[in-house]
Amino acid sequence: MNTDPSASSIPPLTAAQRRRLGRIMRDFHRRAFGEELARINFLPEAQRKLAVAEMIDHARRNGVKLTRPALGVTL
Amino acid sequence: MIPYAELEDFFSSLVATAQERGIACAITSGMACVHFGVAATTKDCDVLCDAAKSEDFRELIAVTGLRGLLPTYRGNISPPLDARWMQGGWTSHFTWKTKPEDTCLDIFGIAPRGSSPWHQELRGIYAAPNVVAEMKRTNRDKDWPFATALGGQMLDEGNVNGWLHLYDLEVLRLWSKQVAPPESLAGSRPLLRLVPFADTLRVKRLLLAERVFWSELDELRVKIYQKHLRSYTAAVRGASAGRRNLAIAESHELRLECALAHLPTQPLRDYGMERMILEAKTNVGVTVGPDVLEWLPVAENHFYGL
Repeated sequence: MNTDPSASSIPPLTAAQRRRLGRIMRDFHRRAFGEELARINFLPEAQRKLAVAEMIDHARRNGVKLTRPALGVTL
Repeated sequence: MIPYAELEDFFSSLVATAQERGIACAITSGMACVHFGVAATTKDCDVLCDAAKSEDFRELIAVTGLRGLLPTYRGNISPPLDARWMQGGWTSHFTWKTKPEDTCLDIFGIAPRGSSPWHQELRGIYAAPNVVAEMKRTNRDKDWPFATALGGQMLDEGNVNGWLHLYDLEVLRLWSKQVAPPESLAGSRPLLRLVPFADTLRVKRLLLAERVFWSELDELRVKIYQKHLRSYTAAVRGASAGRRNLAIAESHELRLECALAHLPTQPLRDYGMERMILEAKTNVGVTVGPDVLEWLPVAENHFYGL
């Protein structure tokens, strides 16, 4: 464990560390969300939002109800 | 059907306009997750709004049209968008009666499980990943991967607080091989003392205990609010006398009267946060085991604003 009590940010990462960490998160996204959503999640912002919009609209066109019930409290 | 891109533009524009008018507010939950790179299938919008600015925000919403339609309060259950109830953690619901499905907006003044002032760490029109991740510690299984994904992203941006949001053993173990978590965070999350997380069965069990703990707390929170909503909803139904689609201003006055009679402004404070935490811990002790209690995260700081 990093014992520096003032540590509030991570020390600058090397390019190799960054690549390894990127791989860790990509693997996690695949396990947690599936291959297709993981692919979408790592697209650049504009493409990602477009892909999510297409996915949501496709689901709605096919009858999937995405509206949550109003409960008076935040879930 | 209104395309998602149009809905996203609509809500983004609403929040941007509110911010320009000095109303601290931010998109959170699903739409924020999409923005931060974690795809979520939602078409409605959740917005955090400074409770003190509830009136200004309500007035803005009331005149904001979507395809020529003005919004109404959603159903009889929605509490009024009023500072007193927003400060107590209630959620107000609004809807635009679009076809074939309504377009819905949920507004809350307090971020559930928030540990910091959300309005001081905005990312443009979005709440910060830290806030969104804390809100994802719910009693729904599907939310937890979102917290981990956001935590990973925070770490990637150099924010050590990302360690507080990782709920996946492999991610914890592999990240700690690259960068160790600072000791100071173990005060909030004792599990981090187990770095490098090599005792996998023990870490798995404690991760489970953490999730059960937050889940129990969330369940208690929801029950405390819902207990009061039955009589309030009946009162709003009676006062509306079958008049559906009342304009927001008219419906608001009616809801205020009903809320004054039936909705306590601070139900969680009335119940007691320490009592909630104690009950959640007791339940974890029964379901997971008493030995894990000392490893549970510190929840006392996660009622910011209440």
